[in-house]
Amino acid sequence: MNRVRATACSRAMAAALLALAISLSACSAAGPPSIVGEQSLRIGVKADQPGLGLRLPDGRFAGFDVDVARYVAAKLGVRPDHITFVPVTSATRETALENGSVDMVFATYSITPERETKVTFGGPYYVAHQDTMVRRDETAIRNVHDLKGKRLCAVAGSNSWKRVTQELNIAATLVPATSYSECVAMLLDRRVDAVSTDDLILAGFAAHEGSAVRIVNAPFSDERYGIGIKQGDLAACEAVNRAVSAMYLDGTAAALLHKWFGQTGLQLDTHVPQFEGCG
Amino acid sequence: MLAIAGFYIVANIAIGNARDGLRVIGHDAGPQVLATGDLYFALSDMDSQVANVLLTGREHDLGTRQQALNSYNQDRVKADRAAMQAAELSASNPIDQATVRSVLDGLGRYEQLASRAMVLNEQANHPAGPPPGNVIAVYRQATDLMKLELLPQAYNLTLEGGATVREVYAAKRAAVLSSRLWVALTGLAAIAALAGLQFFVALRFRRLVNPALAFATLGLIVVSLGAVRLLSGEAEQLQAAKTGGFDSILTMSRAQAISNSLHADESRFLLDPGRADTYSLAYLDKSQTVLYVPSGNLGEYDTGLNAAMKAYHANPRTVSFLGFYGDEARAHPGPAVTAVLSRFQQFQADDQRIRRLAKSGDTRQATTLLTGRTAGSSSYDFNQYNKAVVALIGLHRGTFDQAIRTGDRELGRSILGNWAALLPLATLGAVILVLVGVRARLKEYR
Repeated sequence: MNRVRATACSRAMAAALLALAISLSACSAAGPPSIVGEQSLRIGVKADQPGLGLRLPDGRFAGFDVDVARYVAAKLGVRPDHITFVPVTSATRETALENGSVDMVFATYSITPERETKVTFGGPYYVAHQDTMVRRDETAIRNVHDLKGKRLCAVAGSNSWKRVTQELNIAATLVPATSYSECVAMLLDRRVDAVSTDDLILAGFAAHEGSAVRIVNAPFSDERYGIGIKQGDLAACEAVNRAVSAMYLDGTAAALLHKWFGQTGLQLDTHVPQFEGCG
Repeated sequence: MLAIAGFYIVANIAIGNARDGLRVIGHDAGPQVLATGDLYFALSDMDSQVANVLLTGREHDLGTRQQALNSYNQDRVKADRAAMQAAELSASNPIDQATVRSVLDGLGRYEQLASRAMVLNEQANHPAGPPPGNVIAVYRQATDLMKLELLPQAYNLTLEGGATVREVYAAKRAAVLSSRLWVALTGLAAIAALAGLQFFVALRFRRLVNPALAFATLGLIVVSLGAVRLLSGEAEQLQAAKTGGFDSILTMSRAQAISNSLHADESRFLLDPGRADTYSLAYLDKSQTVLYVPSGNLGEYDTGLNAAMKAYHANPRTVSFLGFYGDEARAHPGPAVTAVLSRFQQFQADDQRIRRLAKSGDTRQATTLLTGRTAGSSSYDFNQYNKAVVALIGLHRGTFDQAIRTGDRELGRSILGNWAALLPLATLGAVILVLVGVRARLKEYR
């Protein structure tokens, strides 16, 4: 009788110890909510920028940003068929992250100190340079300073026109638009004289429009393409930085850059960029 | 017996958690952040000094070209030393080690390019200001190598160290706290079991006290209380090291790195007119990263900075700015951060004057102001600013080291010395005492 009780007791004890050992070794750090560990992700991308983020007629998305997003999501443990791409525009990126309608943004999203007050940025995963696109027959615009007095396309929510008229104080006349595809249409229709934004974006449109337009090839800024994450999700920020490091180490970054921009004549940099840092 | 074994296992895991936490934060990733921060600073300053040498041209007395060369050589030595230290600290991480090696390889290439630019610059024999195109072309190769390859690797290592500390801290501190509860519970269970045994023996064999069992119980009480106290102390030291020291060390190391790189952008802006816009915009972005006030351009930044500083000096609790210094001024107000802010403001005021001179076409005067080593010139004021940053980092370093030392000392100190040695000894002692106590009674029974 005593022995039976003793065995039962020791069994219970052993079970308790086992449970204890598990609970002690599992280091589930209690922290703020994070998208790390999610099975599926909604990722914001551009829908109208060839080479970067473009919605195809069949509804799928394609481009450098889309491929980078797929790679990073895979490193976070998300299966390709569990990614939902959501179209965003320059003006909707912050709100989409803030209200949770997307988990991450890969949308030619330059890291700026002002945006950092609202969004946490992983990366940058690439550093582009702002340049200017004009019509083929335009000869008066050779660099950004020649935009003085010219009509410049200004996309809502974009930082590019601010670089020209605010940061460099060049007195161009701003013509509002909602997207760069609209800007290019306006350039061809002679409603604006120039479109000034990142060389990767311009290169994609230039390839699309053929000989009707030309890039002046006078870059004047460093645009660090960040991965937008809801503000404060440090675990996600650190995880995507590790994924971007891996993307450069294993050669995927170089392969993707050549896949999407190899024909553009742009000088492509295949070294991992200096990260912004989380928090 | 099982109760004692349970206590031993739990206490061992708990103390192991504390030891791992202290090791990674205090002796591994923490120092790694400092070493790679030093590496970044030395590399970035090399590039600034090369730009300054090229800018002074043949006017060797102007802005003391020799001093820039001396600084360049000192930076080279510092970079080598910091890289060695970083390599040692990352011995357990092959990827980090490969990165450090790659920085050292790149540094060799950088030095070659920089020397060539300086030789060509000597030959060009130009007046103070931008050198001829062939010099700029070689300098561009050097500075691009620095900016696109070397500095990102050094900075990303610093960030990775910071990420490791954050993760380990969160995991280990939580583990230490939860295991403290388990240590207390299993300790109590073991004590209760011994007390029960004592009671049983007393009842059965009509002895009031079994001395061996009593000793074992007493010993367990002392060890359990000691272990719980130790774990509370360790959790406290981890917290002090992380939030009281490390967080600010990381913030200020990043601020120092970005500041040095914006200082270099100031020199490059004068040196390479073809990229002046790029360097001005980068200067603005980096200034805002360090200390953010809403502003669309450098002129507005200057106005915003002065207004924010005026409010801050009137009342140091009015921190109306964001960025690294906003975080620091809110978390650790005091004279050390005020000194940093004042020096930063002075450095920015110099920058405004340099840009005004450059805009008016007086590049010679702008160069004098940039490279001069007397009060009121940019290089001098930047050094003063950097010294204030170093002093502030030193202050946090003191807090950090103190917490780690205390944590290490507590782990190594108990009645019998090291906890790692005490715990098995004490457990074994208790088991033997129990056996002795019970065996004596059993013998009697036979």
